[in-house]
Amino acid sequence: MTDPVLAEMVYATGATESRHYAAVKPTIQAYRASWVTIAPRRDGVVNPQRTVVNDPAAMTARIKAKATELGADMVGVCRLQPDMIDLGSEVPHEFVIAACVAEDYEKVMQGPDAVEEEAMWTYARCAEIATELAAQIRAMGYPARAHHNGGSEVQAIPIFYQVGFGELGRHGSLINEKYGASFRPGFVTTDLPLVEDRPREFGVQDFCMNCNVCQRNCPGDAIPQDYVLTHGIKRWLIDLEKCYPYSRLRDEYCHLCVDVCPYNVKSHPNTYKAFMKERKQVGYKTPKTY
Amino acid sequence: MEKLYVNEIRPDGEVSTVGLFYSRAEAEKIVAMLRDIPERSACRYEIVQAVRHLLAEKDASRAQTAPEE
Repeated sequence: MTDPVLAEMVYATGATESRHYAAVKPTIQAYRASWVTIAPRRDGVVNPQRTVVNDPAAMTARIKAKATELGADMVGVCRLQPDMIDLGSEVPHEFVIAACVAEDYEKVMQGPDAVEEEAMWTYARCAEIATELAAQIRAMGYPARAHHNGGSEVQAIPIFYQVGFGELGRHGSLINEKYGASFRPGFVTTDLPLVEDRPREFGVQDFCMNCNVCQRNCPGDAIPQDYVLTHGIKRWLIDLEKCYPYSRLRDEYCHLCVDVCPYNVKSHPNTYKAFMKERKQVGYKTPKTY
Repeated sequence: MEKLYVNEIRPDGEVSTVGLFYSRAEAEKIVAMLRDIPERSACRYEIVQAVRHLLAEKDASRAQTAPEE
């Protein structure tokens, strides 16, 4: 286990691996295996014949259309900044393309296994999209590397913010106006000449100051009341010691903080209301197990 | 587990929290890696107790033991 917090908590129980990851669900294991299988194709040989890019804006539109054609629901571009790269890693590219796939929010009514299967399917799709997009850019003569669950050297949240997908929410995930936090990412870093998108703020950080729905529903009380500031952005730093007993040390998946976020109501009003009625009936801090 | 913030103090005095860490060794490792980045050579770093998180734990345990009225 590479996560030192998780490792300490797992070993303290006498186990050698997280119960959640050890619980065998064949479909989910297959999704996880898929992004491991395609990991060697994250990078590759660059075509020595380079496509000349006279119009980066047109090229950006073309890349976004391609990513959408491959299955992405959101595509954004920004310059790769040092804060977006994992500490100790080197990513010698100028731009990063974020290509995200939305999860089907309706799964919340089908239980934690359905939510997990949807999340892992989405991750697998993101890995495929990023891998294919990177390959197509290399075929145009530019270096390009895919970043996904099978291998990544980039940080999702600062990229999401910079490409205009949304703002950081109290639950630690980025909130998008259409999809809430119910989406998963793949990225491609590249030197292909592109045009950047811009951050877009629509009141999330102010809303989260007063909302508290995710905090009230977290079975582990892992979402804090107070925030810290990172480059002027509010961050409610999740306490992993409280989160992991419910998200990693149980068989069932926990995604409650994302599921109960009111930013889901615009696109799924009836399902959100039904789900929150259920949460009220079982008790807001009850873990999902059904 | 310990709960520690790593704070970055920029030359203009702005304080930015890098993250929440669960051991001094991990926090010190992060600070060492940050100091290696040329763009951050003018920044200072401090490792402090994550008071907000510790206070939240105390509040939670106080709520559990509060006498019934």
